[in-house]
Amino acid sequence: MALALTLIAQGAEAKVYRARLHADRAAQDVLLKHRFHKQYRHASLDASLTRSRVAGEARALIKCLRSGVSVPGIRMVDAPNGLLAIEWIQGSSVRFLLGSSDEPLDEPVDGDLPVSDQPQEHQHPLEPYGVSQDALMVLIGVEIAKMHLADVIHGDLTTSNMMLRLPSSSPSTSRLVLIDFGLAYTSSLVEDKAVDLYVLERAFASTHPDSEPLFTSVLNAYQTRMGKQWHAVARRLDEVRLRGRKRSMVG
Amino acid sequence: MPVRVRRSPLAKPDRPYLALGLEGSANKLGAGIIKHDVDGSSTVLSNVRHTYITPPGEGFLPRDTAQHHREWALNVIKDAVQKSGVSMQELDCICFTKGPGMGAPLQSVALVARTLSLLFNKPLVGVNHCVGHIEMGREITGAQNPVVLYVSGGNTQVIAYSRQCYRIFGETLDIAVGNCLDRFARVINLSNDPSPGYNIEQEAKKGTQLLPLPYATKGMDVSLSGVLTSTEALTMDKRFRSDGQPKGPDDKDFFTPADLCFSLQETVFAMLVEITERAMAHIGSKEVLIVGGVGSNERLQEMMGIMARERGGQVFATDERFCIDNGIMIAQAGLLSFRMGYTTPLSRTTCTQRFRTDEVHVAWRA
Repeated sequence: MALALTLIAQGAEAKVYRARLHADRAAQDVLLKHRFHKQYRHASLDASLTRSRVAGEARALIKCLRSGVSVPGIRMVDAPNGLLAIEWIQGSSVRFLLGSSDEPLDEPVDGDLPVSDQPQEHQHPLEPYGVSQDALMVLIGVEIAKMHLADVIHGDLTTSNMMLRLPSSSPSTSRLVLIDFGLAYTSSLVEDKAVDLYVLERAFASTHPDSEPLFTSVLNAYQTRMGKQWHAVARRLDEVRLRGRKRSMVG
Repeated sequence: MPVRVRRSPLAKPDRPYLALGLEGSANKLGAGIIKHDVDGSSTVLSNVRHTYITPPGEGFLPRDTAQHHREWALNVIKDAVQKSGVSMQELDCICFTKGPGMGAPLQSVALVARTLSLLFNKPLVGVNHCVGHIEMGREITGAQNPVVLYVSGGNTQVIAYSRQCYRIFGETLDIAVGNCLDRFARVINLSNDPSPGYNIEQEAKKGTQLLPLPYATKGMDVSLSGVLTSTEALTMDKRFRSDGQPKGPDDKDFFTPADLCFSLQETVFAMLVEITERAMAHIGSKEVLIVGGVGSNERLQEMMGIMARERGGQVFATDERFCIDNGIMIAQAGLLSFRMGYTTPLSRTTCTQRFRTDEVHVAWRA
């Protein structure tokens, strides 16, 4: 059905392809996420999990799209077969753009990230995007705030799960795109929003050197956009930080 | 994970080293003697275990378990020393479980360790129970740098090594998987001999239907208490036949205890394999090592094997001698840290019920 498949990555959850849905030349590339059948799982358990996860991801994306959050558009959903096709984003992950401190990875962290056309030259990776690092942090904060105002919780906010569009590809839409809603769910609880932010804070700390000022500017932008809701989230975020790793081990 | 060629900080021993390991963090009392030879090989000289078995429908209580350990300590240790063919005087150190585990049983065994240490003038080494499992698993299977799934009655963790620390990637948010299986075994009155988990496994082999149960993975963590509650609730369902037989010739829509065991196993093991796979994808490892009592479950090993093969990797598992709590693993982990120059002074040979895997400084690995 899909044409010209190119496998980009295999994560724990799915195989990710760059593909075309139509033979038409004008057709645009899509990102095809295939949650393949897991042989180790009982067939009926696997089928129901796959169906609900694909549907859940599509639902979260739609909810974001309706509320004006910048996420990839949906191109095709086939929940029983574990297929989800979304818009192909021309650009790079924020993780790459910030230059991660980690040992170079052999493969993308979760396989769910479409990384494409990364500049090979030794210029600063952000240069072709015409965005300063600070402006990028503001974009991140604003997008997350928009998503939380729509009561969508991402569930796996990391710098790998955000992309910056190349300016030429689509001038009108927002530049920063949140991706991989595989763990997303709907919730209006302050707790869930705070945990979402805490996950991002930990991701910044573990992948980028001297991330503290970066994350602070993300939070500042988030605060401005959240308006009245900010105080409750801020208070809970402080609590969540104190909790640290969930619990001390018992037994 | 990129292969880092770094020399192991652990030098080859200049002479053979011997250690006695004592374990009693739950209902198994174990003693074992291990030898590290000059060529770098390890030999298990003896590995003796005695299990406190309770009647069907009952779990083991801390006080009674501690009582059991006190009664059996001398027999088990004598047996281990005799089988090993070495004498107490030849030992280099005595290793004991510092935690985590049940308080009272831990204390009884630590007391025995202290007494032996004073009697024979041998240094003591306190060992983290989980690290003991990991080190023994690595030694037996030869797995180099695996993602470790540690599943037992008290612990459920996905662990990977990084910078001299066993980091916990995912864990249970409530009860351990062994606890979940054992408690269900009690609900349907399965025997605790040799272990409730083993009897669940045998029962599950007869099961045919998969009943819908909650499936609660949260990122790299799992939650198991709700699955247990739901399975328990199904025993109150009017379609449940506790004797496994239909009520009459027209009785078609029913399920049996075996079906419930099957469904419970399939569901919780799928959750465990999934979080292990997430950890493997995250760090880019292709090896999985399963340790802990539940690790001796062949269905879990099979599912993990399928997953690992799909990723082009392989699974390592040990049999019940080393999976289920034992003294030799404490000796192995203790001797490794002893050879790095670590001992526990008598005043600090306390036990703790809460001792996270990632609190241990793994000095012996690069």
